[in-house]
Amino acid sequence: MLVVMAWRNIWRHKARSLVIMMSITLGLLAGIAVLALYEGMLVSRIRTVIDEETGHIQLHHPNFSDENESKFIIGDTTEIFKILRNIPEIIQINKRTLVNGMMSTPTGTAGVQVFGIDTATEFSYSSLKQKIKEGNDLTSYKRNQVIIGKKLADKMKLKIGSKLVLMFNDTTNNLVSSAFRVSSIYQSTNAPVDERLIYVSGSELSELLGLPGQIHEIGLKLNDDKAVDLVASKLKSLLPNLKVETWKEISPETEFMVKTVDSYSYIILIIIMIALAFGILNTMLMAIMERTREIGMIAALGASRIRIFFLVLLETVFLTLGGAPLGLLIGWLLSVYFNKNGLNLSGMGEDVLSSFGFKVIIYPSFPAEKLLPVLIIVVVTALLSSIIPALKAINMKPIDALKN
Amino acid sequence: MNDIVIDTHNISRVYNPTTIPVYAIKNLHLHIRRGEFTALVGPSGSGKTTLLNLIGGLDKPDEGQIVINGTDITKLSPGKLIDFRLHNIGFVFQSFNLIPVLTARENAEFIMLLQGISKNERDERIKQLFRQVDLEEQIERRPSELSGGQQQRVAVARALASKPQFILADEPTANLDSKSASNLLDIMNKLNKEENITFLFSTHDQRVIDRARRVITLVDGQIASDTEPIMTSYAH
Ligand SMILES: Nc1ncnc2c1ncn2[C@@H]1O[C@H](COP(=O)(O)OP(=O)(O)OP(=O)(O)O)[C@@H](O)[C@H]1O
Ligand SMILES: [Mg+2]
Repeated sequence: MLVVMAWRNIWRHKARSLVIMMSITLGLLAGIAVLALYEGMLVSRIRTVIDEETGHIQLHHPNFSDENESKFIIGDTTEIFKILRNIPEIIQINKRTLVNGMMSTPTGTAGVQVFGIDTATEFSYSSLKQKIKEGNDLTSYKRNQVIIGKKLADKMKLKIGSKLVLMFNDTTNNLVSSAFRVSSIYQSTNAPVDERLIYVSGSELSELLGLPGQIHEIGLKLNDDKAVDLVASKLKSLLPNLKVETWKEISPETEFMVKTVDSYSYIILIIIMIALAFGILNTMLMAIMERTREIGMIAALGASRIRIFFLVLLETVFLTLGGAPLGLLIGWLLSVYFNKNGLNLSGMGEDVLSSFGFKVIIYPSFPAEKLLPVLIIVVVTALLSSIIPALKAINMKPIDALKN
Repeated sequence: MNDIVIDTHNISRVYNPTTIPVYAIKNLHLHIRRGEFTALVGPSGSGKTTLLNLIGGLDKPDEGQIVINGTDITKLSPGKLIDFRLHNIGFVFQSFNLIPVLTARENAEFIMLLQGISKNERDERIKQLFRQVDLEEQIERRPSELSGGQQQRVAVARALASKPQFILADEPTANLDSKSASNLLDIMNKLNKEENITFLFSTHDQRVIDRARRVITLVDGQIASDTEPIMTSYAH
């Protein structure tokens, strides 16, 4: 009967109850939308980092990352490759020869990071080939060709076929320089990268450095993102002479972003819960105050304080359940829809997004298994915030309540 | 044969004890026996409501004991007192005070549910009660769909549902027209005669006073006069 009473009490003020239910619905809908969008951006960013920038795991000479000097080579790779090929999670292996240098053209100079690549593996390893917007690529073999980013090309006024000079220190700290010709221009979604990174043939670069055939970096791709830490620790014991780093270590800013977005999500959730708590508190207080007489009368008749407390909590649960599941459901369906079809954020400004390394099309995602926990959090919050009204209700003295 | 259901022993109720004390009830002794049909009368402010609240366990006396059917209710904890009210005292209030979201039947059933009475027993008892208050037709209506007189009869049915020791009613006819008031009195009278239900009610209405079998007059929180109880049903 308490359940019946609670249910009917809700509908005594249809408009008020519907308003609070709808605010719960909208609040949760908005919350889920934002969380799903965040998650989508995050997933997209992580994919970009792994697929286009770092791979899952990289191997270097232990001193290389600190000093970035070309003398810190990986050395004999035959043994290493044998070990790598024996690990089933590893599906791609890519070699690079690296050096930092200066680029100079008739219009000026710029600091660049030179990637010496083997196009046979690089094109299937990173998405460089897909990013090439103009010109051919290094595969149509001519000597001393270079692939540069659109941003750098614009800044240095370079076109396909333009000549430029690359300068860097070799292993003995002698300055070497060599002329290259722009064969292609690429454009990625990450503007800072486009301005810095250029690609040449790995074998040519290693010869210029006086290290023919040597490499500085082995990049690995795995069949599963989640296997990263496991494989990394396996490699650390198998290859004690190399530095093994996962994408999280190589790109700490991405890892930081993951954590920041996670804490933002909690903050958003907390803000929504606080709003919900005040809404419920206000509504239930109003409902209790205007029923002072009635609650006092029920107490006079012999309804225990626990029952009256329970009645208030039940009404709260009904109010919450009248709004929350709908909001969660709509929010989740929207996230599923946009997860499938993509959400085009170009309205927000393509340049802004790409300068932060984000893609324009986001695939928001909200995991279905989080719906129930969120619903439980909502109900618990609502119950907690109805404790004050409930205490007020049980402390009503029948004698005061019944006064005319 | 100890058939005293209400025994107040030297009770007082003082308001504003620290400033200007007002004795709403002063050193009052009262015995009510099972089966009595008693009207509590007196000028406004004489303490009728206060006395009924004290006997009903809604208020505590500042002095004295109130013994209901052998239990001193002034010694009960708040929780025990609620339970005591539920099982021993039936209330009818002046302004109807039914639970608006429940139907007539549910209002009566509510009390029995609180008491933990089985469904079969509840159904049977409700049928009987609504026959007694002559509302079998209106049993599924909400209070808002009933007249004042009908609502007050539902209140009587609800008060009886818990099989209390007695029924307390503070000005039960004050908000009723004379025809409904007389009808309510008929039903209360009949229940008193046929079922030996004890009633104690306050009133200002002379026509209601005329139908009481014992009339207690309060003045300034004290009993000014008390007619001999005419014990019709109690006698056999
Ligand atoms: N909460 C209170 N605080 C102070 N004084 C009170 C309070 N309640 C009642 N009184 C006083 O106690 C006295 C008795 O009041 P009570 O309500 O019992 O009278 P009553 O006989 O029921 O009057 P009426 O016929 O008008 O209903 C009055 O003097 C009243 O002013
Ligand atoms: Mg009164």
